[in-house]
Amino acid sequence: MEKPAPNRYDAVAVVLHWAMALGIFALIVVGLAMKHADIPKNRLFIYFQAHKSIGILILLLAVLRLVWRLAHRPPPLPFSMSALERGAAHAGHLLLYLFMFALPLTGWASVSTSPRNIPTVLFGAIPWPHISFLAELPDKAPVHAVVEALHKYGAYMLIVVLIGHIAFALRHAVKGDVPLSRMSLFGAGNKAK
Amino acid sequence: MKHVAFAAALAAFAPGPAGAAQWKILPGGALTFSGVQAGDKFSGRFSRFDGAISFDPDKLDEAKITIVVDMASAATGDRQRDAALPGSDWFDVAHFPQARFDSRKVVRAGAGYEAVGDLTLRGATREIRLPFTLTIDGAKAQAKGHVGLRREMFGIGQGDWASGEWIDLDVGVDFDIKAERTD
Repeated sequence: MEKPAPNRYDAVAVVLHWAMALGIFALIVVGLAMKHADIPKNRLFIYFQAHKSIGILILLLAVLRLVWRLAHRPPPLPFSMSALERGAAHAGHLLLYLFMFALPLTGWASVSTSPRNIPTVLFGAIPWPHISFLAELPDKAPVHAVVEALHKYGAYMLIVVLIGHIAFALRHAVKGDVPLSRMSLFGAGNKAK
Repeated sequence: MKHVAFAAALAAFAPGPAGAAQWKILPGGALTFSGVQAGDKFSGRFSRFDGAISFDPDKLDEAKITIVVDMASAATGDRQRDAALPGSDWFDVAHFPQARFDSRKVVRAGAGYEAVGDLTLRGATREIRLPFTLTIDGAKAQAKGHVGLRREMFGIGQGDWASGEWIDLDVGVDFDIKAERTD
């Protein structure tokens, strides 16, 4: 006999969601600041190191999250949503998963092909390698230009997708058909309903 | 392997001409360097260096100082910087494992001396003037000195690092070494 469908994400999925949300928010703030704010040069090294450290952490968490997601059934979307809405929600979530991998990987590729060849030491403690086949290219400049552009425009696209993600989550919360308690860190919320 | 090569390089030193006193560098001395990264000062040290010294204040004409530095022994206390230093943009220790100073003459200068000689760093040899003070106490001696270098003269900092945009071109080298007379 099958268990009834859950009405919320399990604890691991919830913790991963919010840990990554925090990390991605920090990455966007630090990333925008280091490219667009007038930061003193001596701070810039620290911003880059922080961005690289959190980015690799997100990549590792994304692997864990994907494995967990494939092995655990998420709560289904309500049938009050149209097939089109549900399809769009799944597509949006798929896109978010894509970004969770694509952005750290293009960032890592960018660091690996950088003409400045700056080593990565995660959180000031753990040495992290370059992607070796990229770092050993005889002419890294064209590859660097491509991965850097992918990282940059990918980040802008992610910001748009995230705004959509948050806006739709709030819209459904207000509407009441997909409560925020599905992903709440604080217990089941209005489970009794 | 690196240590073997380093020892071999030292063994190749020809002792100075007989007559001038021979000195052996004692452990515990300091060979340090300093620079400025994006406005912030940093310093580091070479933990492995050695040399051959023939020096008698009364026979300066016969003085001969040779110092060899194991470039892979540099450390500044910052993991990121220390991972970058041995790389090809900086010391390139894979191709140039050692730096070397060979004096050509030693002259009196002010309260101390000045060693004029060739500094070979990252494969580039340039003449430098190395001022130092010397205190001789029986069979023990202590030498201290500072020399300012321009890193671009030795190709330290390649590509984007060749300019002083991020790392100043001026660097300092300080030493405070003790030696013991061996003859």
